Amino acid sequence: MITVKNLKKTFDDTPVLESINLEVKKGEVVCLVGASGSGKTTLLRCLNLLETPDEGSIRIGDKEVSFGEDKLSKKDIKDIRRYSGMVFQGFHLFPHMTLLENITQAPLTAKQQDKETIMKEASVLLERVGLSEHQDKFPDALSGGQQQRAAIARALMMHPEVMLFDEPTSALDPQLVREVLKVIESLAKEGQTMVIVTHEMNFARRIADKAFFMDEGYILESGPAEQVLTDPKEDRTREFLALLEDE
Amino acid sequence: MFETFGNIRWEYLFDYELAIDSLPFLLQGLRITMVIALFSMFFALMLGVVIGVARMSKFAIFHLPARLYISFMRGTPLLVFVFILYYGLPVIGLEFNNAVVAAIVGVSLNFGGYLAEVVRSAILSVPRGQWEAAATLQMDYFQTLRKIVIPQATRIALPPTFNIFMDVVKGTSLASVITVQELLYSARLVAGRTYDSMTMYISAALIYWMVCIVIGYFQDRLEIRYNRYLSK
Ligand SMILES: Nc1ncnc2c1ncn2[C@@H]1O[C@H](COP(=O)(O)OP(=O)(O)OP(=O)(O)O)[C@@H](O)[C@H]1O
Ligand SMILES: [Mg+2]
Repeated sequence: MITVKNLKKTFDDTPVLESINLEVKKGEVVCLVGASGSGKTTLLRCLNLLETPDEGSIRIGDKEVSFGEDKLSKKDIKDIRRYSGMVFQGFHLFPHMTLLENITQAPLTAKQQDKETIMKEASVLLERVGLSEHQDKFPDALSGGQQQRAAIARALMMHPEVMLFDEPTSALDPQLVREVLKVIESLAKEGQTMVIVTHEMNFARRIADKAFFMDEGYILESGPAEQVLTDPKEDRTREFLALLEDE
Repeated sequence: MFETFGNIRWEYLFDYELAIDSLPFLLQGLRITMVIALFSMFFALMLGVVIGVARMSKFAIFHLPARLYISFMRGTPLLVFVFILYYGLPVIGLEFNNAVVAAIVGVSLNFGGYLAEVVRSAILSVPRGQWEAAATLQMDYFQTLRKIVIPQATRIALPPTFNIFMDVVKGTSLASVITVQELLYSARLVAGRTYDSMTMYISAALIYWMVCIVIGYFQDRLEIRYNRYLSK
């Protein structure tokens, strides 16, 4: 589903990602873990070209782009983005729209389905994330957990092959984390392909097939989630996990 | 001290009978004032959106002229600009046969520069995350601008835009110096005839104030509407 080769990214001459290689198969759930500043967000944002890598290539679905020589065309960017949906740490719901409008805006704009189908699907999805009775409220009137569940539904409305999550629960009060993780877990059970940046280690061990440990822009260790997150080979990974346990 | 205060001859300051008698005449003037103000505000808004968006372009052929325009309009007094239009342009063969048109052109062009800055800062105030979320939902630039950014930017732009609207209304008084018989000009005519300038200027001031109160009322209504999605 996703193949990344030799990806490199620098911000103003500071390397942030270095020779990143990774593969995500259809139906796999992959977790990205690592210390703050290690490049997890940047890697995720490269996958939908919110950041443009300097070198390397990304294949996602049937679309492949390489970076370095030519500037990316609008069409390349559009084609790549078709395959993924993204959930941000800060939700980024559209504040001037109700929840229902939030999740139907993009499909209604894209016009790939008729309105009736879109509305039907929206109500099914809202039900599924437990927000049916809030569909006419504005985001500002809802808790962070509710907003993040709405943001997940909004991304799902576009039927992405891959869902990208960037610390989806980091901005939430502890008691709201579970309701969001439950939604993500149910997606995993359905076979949704996902790449998740998270510090929730128990959650990651439970649902991830693979885990990547990032350190200073490199993928330092990768393998089955169970192994990487419980019994890692690298000392750095071990230190990182120990730090999290202490908290 | 209160005694001197008590000795003031109020009728020297404001002769309310004259004020009432001259009111119909002043309201005639107000009509012209409002025609200039409304047309000017309309054109200034159009200009403001176009120039504000051009100013944000990454292409120099758009943002350089926009910058120059904004700089010039913000840096020249409206009065001087109106003089140039009305007295200067005929010299090079462009004559405004109608002083009202000259006033509208002058006021629109001038305030268009200010509104361009309002438009630009309002659009920039919409968080980057909004653009990014829309991008990941496969919305393109103009779809995002129209559905996501402009509605949010409008809320931010309302108060400064209404400030400018009030400035436009008051700025139309400069048309009196190019012989447009608007509110201030009418007041001055009566003042000249009756030798009671103070009463007439106070009357004019009160009428400008009333107009701005009405504008402020519409501002409040719109703000309530655009703020309804915010709790508190
Ligand atoms: N737009 C940017 N401009 C310059 N530097 C940036 C930018 N975005 C990120 N960086 C830098 O790139 C490095 C990696 O950042 P990134 O956000 O990818 O880390 P992260 O692993 O997601 O960290 P966190 O756990 O704190 O979210 C950091 O040193 C950061 O300062
Ligand atoms: Mg991050």
